Amino acid sequence: MKKLSMVFAMMLFVLGATIAQRSVTGTVTGQDGEPLIGASVLLKGTTVGTITDFDGNYALEVPEGAQTLVISYTGFTTLELEASSGTLDVVLQEGVTLSEAVVTALGIEREKKSLGYAVQEVGGEALTMVRDQNVVSSLTGKVAGVQVISASGASIGGSAKIRIRGANGLYGGEPLFVVDGTPISNSNFSAGYRGVDYGNLASDINPDDIENVSVLKGPAATAIYGNRGANGVILITTKKGGKRAGIGVTVNSSVTADNVYILPEYQNEYAGGYTQSYISAVDPVDGKTYNVLNYAADESWGPRMDGSLYRPWWSWFAGDDYGRQIPLEANPDNVRNFFETGVTYNNSVSLSGGNENTTFRLSFTNVSQTGVIPNSKLGRNNLSLNASTKLTDRLTASANINVARTDALGRPTFGYNGNNAVMSFNQWFQRQLDMDRLRDYKNPDGTFRSWNIRSATNLRPLYWDSPFFSVYENYPTDSRDRYYGNISLSYEILDGLTAAAFFRRDSYSQRIETRTATGGLDQDGYGETVINGVEDNYEFIAQYNKNFGDFTLDANLGANIRVNDYRSNSMATVGGLNAPNLFNIKASIDRPSVSSFMSEKVVRSLYGGATLGYKSFAYLGFTVRNDWSSALPVNNNSYLYPSVTGSFVFSELMNSSVLSFGKLRASFAQVGSDIGAYNTNFTYGAGTPFGNFPAFGLPNTLINQDLKPALSSSYEGGVELKFFNNKIGVDFTAYRTDAADQIITIAVPGSSGFSSAIINAGKIRSEGVELALTATVLETSDLAWDLTLNGARNNSQVLELADGLTNQRLDSWGWGGLSINAPVGGEWGTFRGRGFSTYECNGCAQEGQKIITEDGRYVWQNNKELGGVLPDLTGGLRSMFSYKGLTFGAFLEFQVGGQFHSVTRMFNAYSGLGLETVGNNDKGNPIRDEVAAGGGVMVEGVLADGTPHTAYADAQTYFSNNLFALNENWIYDASYLKLRELSLGYSIPKRVLGDLPIQNASISLIARNLWLIHANVDGIDPSEISPGSNGYVFQENGILPGVRSIGLNLKVGF
Amino acid sequence: MKNIFKVGVLSVAMLSAVGCGDFGDINIDPNNTTSVAPETLLTSSLRSVASVVGRADEMFYTQMFSQTQYTDGSRYVTVNYDFNGWYTGPLADLNHIIEINSNEETKADALVSGSNENQIAVARIMRAYFFHFMTDRWGPLPYSQALQGRTNLKPTYDDQETIYLDLIKELKEAVAQMGGASVKGDFILGGNMAHWAKFANSIRATIAMRMSNVNPSLAQTEFVDAVGDGVITTADENVMYPFQADANNQNPWFAAFITRTDYAISETLVDFMKPLNDPRLNVYADPAPLYGDVRGMPYGIENAGDIPNDEISFPGYPAVRGQDAPIAVFTGAQMHFLLAEAALKGWVSGDAQAYYEGGITESMKQWGVYDAAAFADFIAQDGVAWDAAKGMELIGYQKWVALYLQGAESWSEWRRTGYPVLSPAPDPLNADGQIPRRHGYPTSERDINSDNYAAAVQMLGGPDELSTRLWWDN
Repeated sequence: MKKLSMVFAMMLFVLGATIAQRSVTGTVTGQDGEPLIGASVLLKGTTVGTITDFDGNYALEVPEGAQTLVISYTGFTTLELEASSGTLDVVLQEGVTLSEAVVTALGIEREKKSLGYAVQEVGGEALTMVRDQNVVSSLTGKVAGVQVISASGASIGGSAKIRIRGANGLYGGEPLFVVDGTPISNSNFSAGYRGVDYGNLASDINPDDIENVSVLKGPAATAIYGNRGANGVILITTKKGGKRAGIGVTVNSSVTADNVYILPEYQNEYAGGYTQSYISAVDPVDGKTYNVLNYAADESWGPRMDGSLYRPWWSWFAGDDYGRQIPLEANPDNVRNFFETGVTYNNSVSLSGGNENTTFRLSFTNVSQTGVIPNSKLGRNNLSLNASTKLTDRLTASANINVARTDALGRPTFGYNGNNAVMSFNQWFQRQLDMDRLRDYKNPDGTFRSWNIRSATNLRPLYWDSPFFSVYENYPTDSRDRYYGNISLSYEILDGLTAAAFFRRDSYSQRIETRTATGGLDQDGYGETVINGVEDNYEFIAQYNKNFGDFTLDANLGANIRVNDYRSNSMATVGGLNAPNLFNIKASIDRPSVSSFMSEKVVRSLYGGATLGYKSFAYLGFTVRNDWSSALPVNNNSYLYPSVTGSFVFSELMNSSVLSFGKLRASFAQVGSDIGAYNTNFTYGAGTPFGNFPAFGLPNTLINQDLKPALSSSYEGGVELKFFNNKIGVDFTAYRTDAADQIITIAVPGSSGFSSAIINAGKIRSEGVELALTATVLETSDLAWDLTLNGARNNSQVLELADGLTNQRLDSWGWGGLSINAPVGGEWGTFRGRGFSTYECNGCAQEGQKIITEDGRYVWQNNKELGGVLPDLTGGLRSMFSYKGLTFGAFLEFQVGGQFHSVTRMFNAYSGLGLETVGNNDKGNPIRDEVAAGGGVMVEGVLADGTPHTAYADAQTYFSNNLFALNENWIYDASYLKLRELSLGYSIPKRVLGDLPIQNASISLIARNLWLIHANVDGIDPSEISPGSNGYVFQENGILPGVRSIGLNLKVGF
Repeated sequence: MKNIFKVGVLSVAMLSAVGCGDFGDINIDPNNTTSVAPETLLTSSLRSVASVVGRADEMFYTQMFSQTQYTDGSRYVTVNYDFNGWYTGPLADLNHIIEINSNEETKADALVSGSNENQIAVARIMRAYFFHFMTDRWGPLPYSQALQGRTNLKPTYDDQETIYLDLIKELKEAVAQMGGASVKGDFILGGNMAHWAKFANSIRATIAMRMSNVNPSLAQTEFVDAVGDGVITTADENVMYPFQADANNQNPWFAAFITRTDYAISETLVDFMKPLNDPRLNVYADPAPLYGDVRGMPYGIENAGDIPNDEISFPGYPAVRGQDAPIAVFTGAQMHFLLAEAALKGWVSGDAQAYYEGGITESMKQWGVYDAAAFADFIAQDGVAWDAAKGMELIGYQKWVALYLQGAESWSEWRRTGYPVLSPAPDPLNADGQIPRRHGYPTSERDINSDNYAAAVQMLGGPDELSTRLWWDN
């Protein structure tokens, strides 16, 4: 990118030189005194400018009348200075910048003011400030209108999902990831709601290699990426080498420690069991009768922990402890004791250099991580090379190659799954259990032991293995080899006309192995999945830039062939393993389940566009693209979509001391999207054979040979204002996107013989506003304080569905019929499920009160609308403060509105584990006491006839029966405010480094997920509710605990 | 300028070479096939019989099984049951078999799997079998307008009487059209067409008897006709679903007990069988570890977790929950009890007592516990010994015992005859607290087939609840 900018700037320089009148020279450096190479120095409002050389020096001839110099460098705050003649040395501050030059679609760098749509950039420094390993989660809160939902840090390398401007189609969807022009996969092979989270594939990108990230939000910015840009584009530009003396070496090392910090609040008054009385058991050895707990119960409605003697579960296992009695006492920290301190080491080194003709950057990064959950670890190695060389004056060859290898062992299971130890602690457990006793999960004879034994004399577990058995024996392993990048040749045919050809490839090979060990509760087994995905893009593009008097023209014409090839093989043993712990498919007792799958898809595209500028203040642009997709019906596989954009820099026409920059912009675009391969032809589905009898069946989905591409139309307008010499900046955008002719799989009555049909129908409208504010609060030679605030509101409405269809159920999971829906006339992502019946009486005093029965049970209403998933407001606030060599950065992230359903909370109460299941009622008696004895939970409401009524419900009945599956009670507001990032850094001054061969060095204290300042639900971080691959993010059903990371980072440049 | 022109021409030429919508065979799915032998569709449909015979809910209703810790199911928590899978699964495939064997273009190729007539006959019999099972759960159903694909995406419902009459017609015609090479893909009856005919006639007799309260004359005619055509009467002719010692096709109760212990034999059934020293009891269930003999689990209580595992009896191993233990689809014992009832009604000649005792005999043979001497003692005791005055009651109770694991049939016969006399779950979760008389329609019908759903509820003659009685259940 720097290379391109250099070429571009030099071109401008050549143009500008012809009318130069006076000269300005100087040096541009960073706060650390390090010269900035390739910083742009531009005369404001003109195309005249230059870039700094490898010592940070520049020289510029300034024409008469020019007032202001604009000095910018990616990742640094842009500075404007009066263009006096003589020497002007400039120090730029690091920070998120709305820099003047931005990277747009196809990697073309353009002046921001010429753009008619919103682009927000985040510099690499802002992404890596606290060493987040996943580029997606590091974007959280930093770009207006971009919502990121990450996994807890406990799920080492877990998924981060991204939603741009709400729902851009019926099924939502993720943006396209593009690295240096190469589209790369962000697939996710994790379980949806429960299982193992293997992370999103974009996490193969090494954050240390990122120069900046540009988020293209509206289809106006993405039309040129074709059907895949409909949900936005995350455009990543990697660091390149630059012209410099010698080879620059940068070493960065960090170590961070992870600790669990958010867990539900547990009660510590009652032990395991279903009733408060002890059970008696006769010991066959001494013949005596003992008080025991109901070990088979995985709930905590048992006896009060009052110190009475009893026989714990482990006293029934042969050994020294056999027969021991202990007092029944609380173990308040038992759950916390399960977790370990996770440690992440991140070491990277990069070499970069270049001369007039050749530049390169080579980097290597190693990440080694252990998780807070025992026996979980992950390692990643990244190698990347960027090189460019001028073969002749006009012919340039470039290559960008990225290689990543990830290996993980014991990635934690999340969600409602027997292998998720945390889910057991929060949902099905006994509060008195001593974690250290569970740690010993092996008997001396090699068999396994668990707390959940069936009875004193039947030591086989009923529902739960020891949590340590789950993590040490039933662990998955996975690995991924990834390489992506491009090679290109670019030829400058004439001044201003360049043609380039690219070959781009993204290839991954993902391997996943799962184990269920012999001797546990579940049948032993082994599964193996291998997935290979390759995407090749053959791209040709011609670009033409020319000035005609007052007019400028930027035009391009391109062609692309995309080939996606996907193969997977999955195998699993069936009926157990024929030798203990032989984790191999050949050990399958019965015929293993085996399947292979391959698919190929080709999309051919032609596109072109042009932007016409007038006197650097008015711009008009258009793009047009035609795609031909192999996945669409043969007679209907071509589709075309256009975009038009305009921008008007009105500040060029006025001379205000207050308003330093002002621009209006507007755009309209359409974008089409198609379908996956093989969706338009009939085939039989293979069923499970009966012995030697093969079985096939008709498909359940009615295929459609008349499908056409879905079409989104989008309108966007905005204004950018900068005041007081750019000290305050405002960027406001309003947009509307109508996603029509959606390719929908609608449910049809099964009695037709099919359960679903694929059709074109529907219209989803997303509207919203986005605001970014930047302010330089303080700015002196030693001191700087910058604030960046962004916020966005979005509303996604379902305007139409298919004929006669009033609601499309998007997904459902769990008890009570909870589902997430797209109802016509309603909000996309509306909850429906079981709610409280409320009294309706046209505004009488009891209006809206919950209806209860005489004995205090809530009366249910099924299929009730219970809110929605999409937030009302999202955003973040970043503060960067520096004083001499000290920097202090903080990042706050927030969300207002949006809801989620919590299964953890439901069963936490159901099983008597939660704090809410103990305490006293209004009579001053423990709620767990018999109702007849003054106990019970007070339930207030009205009877079916409207009579106000107060009843006392038995606590266990109340939480286990009355509130179970009553979805409305377990739906929570997902609003939160979180201190997500904190960094305190110190740049060691050059004088301290003295004669060391070190150019710069800095050390910083970093913290991630430091403090969940506010949430409307206890014990759950609403920003981490849904790991895994499910994109609707409407509930958690076994959340992993919130994790706080604190560490040190050292960066040294040679 | 000349250069620009050259480049332009070159570009346009390149681009038009690219911009082409012809992709050849790329979009042909290499993972799946467009042509299969029809026998594979039959195998697939027959595998769905496992889902009929492996159902628990109906076994709860007639209190054969109780649930242990989590008892909601046995307390009637579920109102709406999904029927869509039966249509999109076995019924669609069976219809397709009929279509392939009828269509002039495909019927010759279909001969690889047996004669066209026999394939159609078996498909019609199985279709009738599934529809009968379904209509006895839900009542009115999409039937004559069902399974038409895109032609009819909102099928209307037929009332149960219409369906019943058509099922009888289908079964008759199916048997009548048999001929030629036997069918392949049949792992239940091994392609034995005579056995298929008996099975079809037996279903017809069952259907006929089921409408004996609402249309006695037709019931009698069809029952007598079906029996006359030959029905399954002995245990060695039983239609059994053959589970395999293979996790892909294993007994559902075996599967349920690999990790958990959710089902126990119900106290209701044990309390009836135990005093009679019924030899089947020790096959039906294992002894409770704490007591050494079979102990029933109290049925349908809220706090079931208070009763420890070692005080109750789980389904018998291996007869009930062996990995390859078969489950009955239709038995000679069943037919004997139907014949006993028909004899009581005077529909057939023959001795009701002989049929009744034959039913017990065939049931004991089915479970491998028949012993002539013990049998003589068993049928001689009070509560079993034939008494024509209490004929229906005796038949009802013994049929209930004999239908162990055949929950759906047992539930239907309880609804029709009122035997055995059962008390609902003590802690019911349904609205009226009574044992369900039907299943509610899937909620999807209310949402996406609304008008026809509304009409179906009209036909039902009551709300779409568990409590509404079906046409034959008055």
